[in-house]
Parts: sequence; structure tokens; C-alpha cells
Amino acid sequence: MNPPVTGQSPVVAAPGAWAASGFGSLYDEHSRAIYYLALRFFGDEQKAEDATHDVFLKAFQRMDQFRNESSVRTWLYRIAINHCQNLVRSWHNRNVHSNADDSIWENSAAKTDSPLRVLETKELGQRIQTTLDSLPEEYRLLLLLVADEELSYEEIAALVGQSADAVRGKLHRARKAFAARFEQTA
Amino acid sequence: MKQQTKLSQEQQHAEAHQTQQQAGQEFASAEEVLRFDAAHTVVPPQIARRLEESTGGGAPPRRPWWKNLLGR
Repeated sequence: MNPPVTGQSPVVAAPGAWAASGFGSLYDEHSRAIYYLALRFFGDEQKAEDATHDVFLKAFQRMDQFRNESSVRTWLYRIAINHCQNLVRSWHNRNVHSNADDSIWENSAAKTDSPLRVLETKELGQRIQTTLDSLPEEYRLLLLLVADEELSYEEIAALVGQSADAVRGKLHRARKAFAARFEQTA
Repeated sequence: MKQQTKLSQEQQHAEAHQTQQQAGQEFASAEEVLRFDAAHTVVPPQIARRLEESTGGGAPPRRPWWKNLLGR
């Protein structure tokens, strides 16, 4: 897997005529969130690039179906999650730990209130990816969604098809699992 | 004397900076780590170019006015 491109990261403005249609500003505003979700979901830059392209193409084609019942960000995430999960299923690319017993993580020594220390920022992306790859897909997705400050617990719950209380409970375990695994990657 | 004091302050400042760099960064939670990582992730510019090609550079389809009226 290639390491993700990191550094100072201005969002590249969408070029051409569709930028003028309003879709360009939508892309500019949300492409980083969708790309990042795909990048850390797959752990592969090329797959993330393809998925981001496909998600925005679907959004473009279905623009007339968008109702203002949810935010654009939530709508895009819904397309992205479906797309990514379908790809994973079709590739039979399940993570080796995806069926792991949750108690492995729940009984781990790490505490969620312990700070996560990083010495080398340049290695951060690799450590994050290793950590996320080792978590069940559900935890990975929840953590990636909750990291987006634009999403509320209710919106995350709707995206993953669970109650907000269930999401809060799972997030607690997901954070704990992440902290435990992240420490091991140091 | 004053010069010595200033030098000492600069040294302290430099040492503090070095210590801070050596200590690295601390994140309070998984979300914070991921937010930091996301903020430093660059979206490949070729995605926008590919999208423009795929969409033919046109405008997306608009929702018909009657759907808005009927709430469908």
C-alpha cells in the first residue's frame, strides 16, 4: 500500500464547466471528507481515488433525486458508504480481524482518556492505517464518521442504520479499540 | 548582564521548542488523530479532472419543479 499524500492540503478547485454549474463548489466543499473516508476505509490511494470519482459521479447523476431532508454531506456519505461497502463485498476483501471477538478490544488495557502520542507526524498516516485495518469494519466506519465534526450523532446513526444510543455505545468501544491498537503501532 | 539574560532566555526558548518537538504531538482521542490526519490529506487533483471528463463538463440534472411542489 502506498502511504497517503500528506502535507499542507488546500482543496483543489474543480476545473471546467461543471464547476460553474454549482457542482464544482459542492465538490470543493466535500471532496476531502469523501476521499479521506475512502482512503482510510480501503487503505489504498488508487481505490480511494476511484471511489471518490465514482461517488461524485453518482451524486452528479442523481442530483435531481436529492431532497433537502438531509445535508449534502450526509447524502454524499450515504452514497460513499454504500459504494465502499459494495466494493469490499464484491472483492471479498474482508479484513482479517473483521470477525474478531470484540472482547479482545474491550478487555484491552488502553483507556480512552489516555492521550495518543505521536513522535513523527510523517509516520502518523501509516500508524492510523495499520490501526484502522485491524479494527472491525463497523468500528472503522464509526470512527471515521465521528471524526467529521459536521456530522451529529443522529446523522451518524442514520447513516449506519442504528440508534444514536447504540452508536454512542459502539463508539466508546471503538475508541478504546483504536487507542489499544494505536499504542501497539508505536 | 542584560545580554547574558537575553541569551539565556533564547536558549531556554530553543530548549523548550526542542523538547516540544521531541515529545511530538498528543491527541486526546481517536477522533482528534483522524481529524488531524484528514486535514493533512491532499485530494488528488486528477479526481476533479476525471470527473469533468465523466460528466462531459455539463450541469447535473435538476429536480423537476413539480416534485418540489408535491414533496416527492
